[in-house]
Amino acid sequence: MRSRPYLRFVLVRLGALVLLAVGITLVSFILTNLVPGDPAAANLGQRALSDPAIVAAFRHQHGLDQPLPVQYWKYLTGLVQGDFGTSQRSNRPVGDELAEYVPATLELASTAVVLSVVVGVGLGMLAAMRRNSWLDQLLRVVSLAGVSMPTFWLALAAFFLLFYKWGILPGGGRLDPGLDPPPQVTGLYTVDALLAGQWDIFGNAVFHLIMPALVLAAYTVGLLTRFTRASMLEVLGNDYIRTAQAKGLPGRTIVFRHVLRPALVPILTVAGLAFGSLLSGTVLVEQIFSWNGIGQYAYQSALNLDLPAIMGVSLVVAVIYVTVNFVVDLLYGVVDPRVRLQ
Amino acid sequence: MNLTRRRAIQLALTAGALLATEAACGKTNKGTDSGGTKNTTLVVENSFDLTTADPGRVYEVTGGMVAHAMYEPLLTFAGGDVSKPVPLLAKSFEASADGKVLTLKLDETAKFSDGSAVTADDVVFSFNRVKNVKGNPSFLLDGVTVTAPDAQTVVLTSAKANPALPYLLPTPALGIVNSKVAKAQGAVDAEGADKSDKAETWFNANSAGSGPYTLQSFSTTTEVVLVANDKYWGTKPVYTKIVLRNVTNSVQKLDVVKDASQLALDLSPDQAKDLGAAVTVDRASTTTTFFLFTNMNPAISPVTSNPKFQEAVRYGLDYAGIMSLAGEGAVQAPGLVPDKLLGALAAGDSLKRDLDRAKAALAASGYSGQEIPMEYPSDITKNGIDFGVLAQKVQAGLTEVGIKVKLAPAPVATALPNYRDGKEKLGLWLWGADYPDPSDYLAFLPGGLVGLRAGWKAGSSPDLTTIGDQAAIETDSGKRAALYQDLQRKLNEVGPFMPLFQSAQISVMAKSVSNFVYNAVWTVDFGALK
Repeated sequence: MRSRPYLRFVLVRLGALVLLAVGITLVSFILTNLVPGDPAAANLGQRALSDPAIVAAFRHQHGLDQPLPVQYWKYLTGLVQGDFGTSQRSNRPVGDELAEYVPATLELASTAVVLSVVVGVGLGMLAAMRRNSWLDQLLRVVSLAGVSMPTFWLALAAFFLLFYKWGILPGGGRLDPGLDPPPQVTGLYTVDALLAGQWDIFGNAVFHLIMPALVLAAYTVGLLTRFTRASMLEVLGNDYIRTAQAKGLPGRTIVFRHVLRPALVPILTVAGLAFGSLLSGTVLVEQIFSWNGIGQYAYQSALNLDLPAIMGVSLVVAVIYVTVNFVVDLLYGVVDPRVRLQ
Repeated sequence: MNLTRRRAIQLALTAGALLATEAACGKTNKGTDSGGTKNTTLVVENSFDLTTADPGRVYEVTGGMVAHAMYEPLLTFAGGDVSKPVPLLAKSFEASADGKVLTLKLDETAKFSDGSAVTADDVVFSFNRVKNVKGNPSFLLDGVTVTAPDAQTVVLTSAKANPALPYLLPTPALGIVNSKVAKAQGAVDAEGADKSDKAETWFNANSAGSGPYTLQSFSTTTEVVLVANDKYWGTKPVYTKIVLRNVTNSVQKLDVVKDASQLALDLSPDQAKDLGAAVTVDRASTTTTFFLFTNMNPAISPVTSNPKFQEAVRYGLDYAGIMSLAGEGAVQAPGLVPDKLLGALAAGDSLKRDLDRAKAALAASGYSGQEIPMEYPSDITKNGIDFGVLAQKVQAGLTEVGIKVKLAPAPVATALPNYRDGKEKLGLWLWGADYPDPSDYLAFLPGGLVGLRAGWKAGSSPDLTTIGDQAAIETDSGKRAALYQDLQRKLNEVGPFMPLFQSAQISVMAKSVSNFVYNAVWTVDFGALK
């Protein structure tokens, strides 16, 4: 009996995801066609552009010679069959390109998420427990800095200091230039290197992940630190905490069992939403760190008005974002039994 | 409980330490590797404008470098001298007296990367494919028919005298592909190839040329890896692997100074200052001409189409100030044809600022102080020159004359259609030579591709058109050069174009790299680097 509302909840969310995906394609399609630009002008050279036969061939090849509703309908019917269309810039199937670029971004973003949650929640807890101490003040400044610093600036500054000045971490790219990537299984270099038993590649890939992941995580670390602190302080003010302290429970037990758990619900919400900013941050971070992910792909596609590629990236990002928040919704039930009972 | 937790912490710390050591080992290993292969792996950094590695479709700067390393053309240029085509796959070439037929004899020792010989059939296939896939470089062979009387002879026949043809042949898009391999991968050279050719995907992952390198991996956004062609028929390249990475220019600067890369190709003139002794800086003028135009079409603007207003702009521009922006290595463009090409004007022919003349012309034009929008692509940075900054400099110079210019930037994809349709009143753009021959600049004449963009309709200047027509078919080099020079002098008097400068290609390389010569057609020849 109890699983039914849960199942319904999951099904409703999945249905919403499908509707959202269609909505995303429609919005991307309309917006890209509203821009007063011409994909042929963006993708063809000046000479080719002056030859009507070549322009006509380009338009025909990419279906641009058909009415907009027909173009959109063809895209949707293709999408249902797993066809994301063909990139106007590279003439490759967008699905293949996404499969190539998404794992790189996932590797970077998931590392940044883990970093954000571990460091952000940890620091937030520390600040709450040492409220108004010098450490709390310091963490407030640090978290404020993390939230306020523009990602591209931080990326350049980190690159300059950690690579150029001090030589602690490697520069751009997912591996040192001389190294060949591990045989592809998942597309995540760290995982693939482990699967292939290539320890030197694994170490190199981890080494290359550190700086971009730190830069990408800076904003979410700042955000989570502030939210965790606020959320924990709110719980700490409750009477049952005072009771627990009066009972003589050890501080650690109070923090982890009685404070953190109820405080986690708003933290989870923020973490889920922050994932969106993390994905948008990849566009700049990947540019600066020469990271072969969808951030770079999105940037190049937008510059070239490459409609199928723009729609493909939008879809993938939207699906990832919604899925993450869906998982967050499910986690509410795990963290807070009151949600389950409702 | 406590013990277990402490143990867990210890374990975590040990794992962390191991990971760090491992990561460091990864780096050290690379260091060791690079100790052994340092001189054989070359890391080159460039801001990519890459779309394809298919030689039948390649047209962009990055693509040109990549294709040139893998696909050799019939003729080439020695080093940076683009004024004289020299043999490569063709050991000799001869043009007929009427300039319509070019006969080339292939070098029988030339081999593709699979070891098979380069034949005239491969040339016919490659050229017909370029024409029929209807891609960016198809125009290069407009009106040209290619035939192969025997396995070693190629005959190129043009409908009209085509003295520019030998200068076109070294273009990377006219590199020769192994037709047997290409056909097996779905390449088609017949008419209708724009629909039936399916080989681009294959060409983006493999190569089938006779050049010093073959393709190992290709990404349009991140990295291209080339490896030396084991069966190369010419002088073996020094570097066994070329890693070409897409990197923003600010990071390129840090990387090359730190020796994380050995060649950086996109530093701006400012960035290339004071780089220290660890690197060598090469500055060369390119064949990219930045220019301003005033629209000649009175329907678009009665102001800018007024010859007196054009004179005011021409003599009011602050050429010296613009040159300081263009930086060391750039040259003021005396005419539209760049200084490296046949028919270019001498530096002394450059326009000079004459404020009195400009002000007098403006007064005579009847200009009443209205704002004139100047359109330019805001998202293009070429050779470190940002159009936005250049536009401000142009605006400042014209303000001194009394012309109110309103900056009207737009992303190139948006700005280009307006430019192409001839709707811009004032336009600030650039023109990169498609091939190093002055005939490429006939596009600036009335009714030509760029002429129309400046509202200059065919028949507007019969004198210029007559000279242009003569220049296009003249086969004698001396006479050709004189005709093009005459054309440009007249353009500098009555045309709507104000040539500003040829930007500088700044190439920064590690001291370990030598024999670098900038070439205006393919930027860098990886096979020649030492």
